[in-house]
Amino acid sequence: MNRDYLIFDIRRTLRNRRVLIFSILMPLVLFLIFGLTIPQDADEAGISAIAYVMVSMAMFGSMSAAMSSGGVIAAERDGGWNRTLRLTPLKPQAYVVNKVILSLLLAVPPLLVVFVVGMTFGHVDLSASQWLTVALVSWLGALPFAAIGLVIGYVAKPDSVQPITGLSTMLIAAFGGLWLPVDQMPSVMKHIAQLTPAYWTSQTSRSALTQGGLDTHALMVVLGWTLVLGFIGLRRYRADTARA
Amino acid sequence: MTTATAVTLRGVTKRYANVQAVAGVDLTIRAGEVVALLGPNGAGKSTTIEMLLGLVKPDQGSVQVYGGTPTDAIAAGQVGVMLQSGGIIEDARVGELLNLVAGLHKNAMPVEEALEQAGIADLAKRTMKGLSGGQKQRVRFAMAIIPQPDLIVLDEPTTGMDVESRRDFWASMHAETARGRTVLFATHYLEEADSYADRIVLMRNGKIVADGTAAQIKAGVSGRTIRATIPGADLPALASLPGVRNVETRGDVVLLQCADSDNTLRHLLQNTPAHDIEVTSADLEDAVLAIGAQDESAQQANTAQETLA
Repeated sequence: MNRDYLIFDIRRTLRNRRVLIFSILMPLVLFLIFGLTIPQDADEAGISAIAYVMVSMAMFGSMSAAMSSGGVIAAERDGGWNRTLRLTPLKPQAYVVNKVILSLLLAVPPLLVVFVVGMTFGHVDLSASQWLTVALVSWLGALPFAAIGLVIGYVAKPDSVQPITGLSTMLIAAFGGLWLPVDQMPSVMKHIAQLTPAYWTSQTSRSALTQGGLDTHALMVVLGWTLVLGFIGLRRYRADTARA
Repeated sequence: MTTATAVTLRGVTKRYANVQAVAGVDLTIRAGEVVALLGPNGAGKSTTIEMLLGLVKPDQGSVQVYGGTPTDAIAAGQVGVMLQSGGIIEDARVGELLNLVAGLHKNAMPVEEALEQAGIADLAKRTMKGLSGGQKQRVRFAMAIIPQPDLIVLDEPTTGMDVESRRDFWASMHAETARGRTVLFATHYLEEADSYADRIVLMRNGKIVADGTAAQIKAGVSGRTIRATIPGADLPALASLPGVRNVETRGDVVLLQCADSDNTLRHLLQNTPAHDIEVTSADLEDAVLAIGAQDESAQQANTAQETLA
C-alpha cells in the first residue's frame, strides 16, 4: 500500500461528487421504497422484514460502490498512467492493494447511510454488538466485489466500463436476491441466487441478526468467492503489466 | 563518478510484426553525458528508449542501467522519465499529481521546487484537463525531475510546444544538466540536438548511423555547399560534374553540394553565367542528410545483393 497514492485517490473521489452521491442515493431510495413501506411486524427468515431489507440494501450499496473502483482503474490504464507508474518505484502489488482499500472506503458511506436510516426511521432494533457485527460483515462483504471491480477495470475500456459495471451490479443484485427476498421468488430463482456472491454476502450479514450467530457456511462461500475473484483480478493485472 | 557508465545497450533488436523497429543497437552512455537520440519518425528512437526503460523487452541483446536491469534502476529511483504523450491523470490537479509522484520516490525534491524549476508554479491548483499541450509537457518534465534522478530520459520532450516554450523548456533543462545529471533525449529537431547535446547519436532504420559530438558528425562529411545565381542553369550537366553530390534549385539560385568545391567553382566561373556566389562548409543538417543518403544507398545495395542471391 502507498499512503500518498491513497490520499490522491481519496481526494479525486471526494471531488467527483456525482459518483459519491449516486452511490449513496441508489441504496437509500431503494431502502425507502422497499423497506419503509412494508408492515412493521412482518418478518422474513426469522428477522424483522425491515431489518432484512435494510441489510439487503446496505449490501447492495457497499457492493456497487466497491465495484465502481473498476472505472478508476480503466481510466488510469487508458491514459497510459499505468505506464508512468511502471517508471516509478511503486510496487505493482501496492497498486492492487491500494485499489482494494479504495473500494472498501467507497463502500462505507452507503452502508452508514442505510444503517442510520434503518436505525432512526426504520426503528430497527438491534443490540450494539449486533449492529457492529452486521456493519463489519456487510463492509467486508464488499471484498469479492472489489475484486470484480478489479477484473472489470482490467478488461473494460473507459467508455464501456460504466455500462458494464452498471449492468453487472443490477444483475448480481437482482438475481442475488438483494432487491427481492429469494424466499418470495420461485425456487429456481433461489438456485440461481446461490450462484451469485451477493446471495452469500447478504446471507452472512443477515445471520448476524439471528439467534444462531454467523452462518459459517455462507461465510466460507464468501471467502471462496473473494479468493477466486481476487486471483482472477491479480491475473488480469499481471497480464496487463507484463505486456512489455 | 565521471567514468561510471549510466546505460549500456548491447546488440539490442526489436521486431514488431513485419517491421524491424530496432536492428542491432550498441550504445554506451557515460554518467554526466547529455546525449541526443536524433532521427526521423520511425527510426527506432522510441523503441530504443522503451527497451532502455524496461517497458519493452528486446528480442535480442542486453540492456543495463547503472549496472543492473532497468527495473532495478527505476526501483532505486535513479531514473526520471518524460514520455511523449499520455501518462498523466486528466482529472487530477497539477499539485496533486506531483505530490503523488514525489510520494512514490524516496529521495524526491519538494513539490514547490519541482514546480518552480519546470516554470509552472502558477499552475499547481489547475486541473490537468484544462492545460495546453505545452503546459502538460512541463508537468511531465516536473514529474521527471522530482525524483532527483541520476539519469533523465526524455522522449521528444518539446513536441507540441511553440518556439518560446521550447526555448524556456531547454533553459530549465540546462539547470538540470548543470547539476551533472545524465540526460538522454530523443528528438527529430536537429537544432535541439546541435544546441543542447554533448553527443549526438543518429538513428535511421533501427540502427545507429553516426555517433559523436556535433563537430565530429559535421567533420564526417567533407565538402562544402556552393550557392550561386545561375540563370538558365543546365542542371544535369552541373550534377554530373566530378565531386558534385547534390543539386537543388530555388528559382535561379542553385545549391551545389560538392566534395571538391574549388574545382566546381572554377567550372562555374569559366563555363556558366554564375554570379552572387557563396561557399559555405557543411552544417549539421547537411551532415545528417549526407549520412542518410549514404545509408539509403547502402541499403539499396544490400537489397540489390539480396535480390541477386
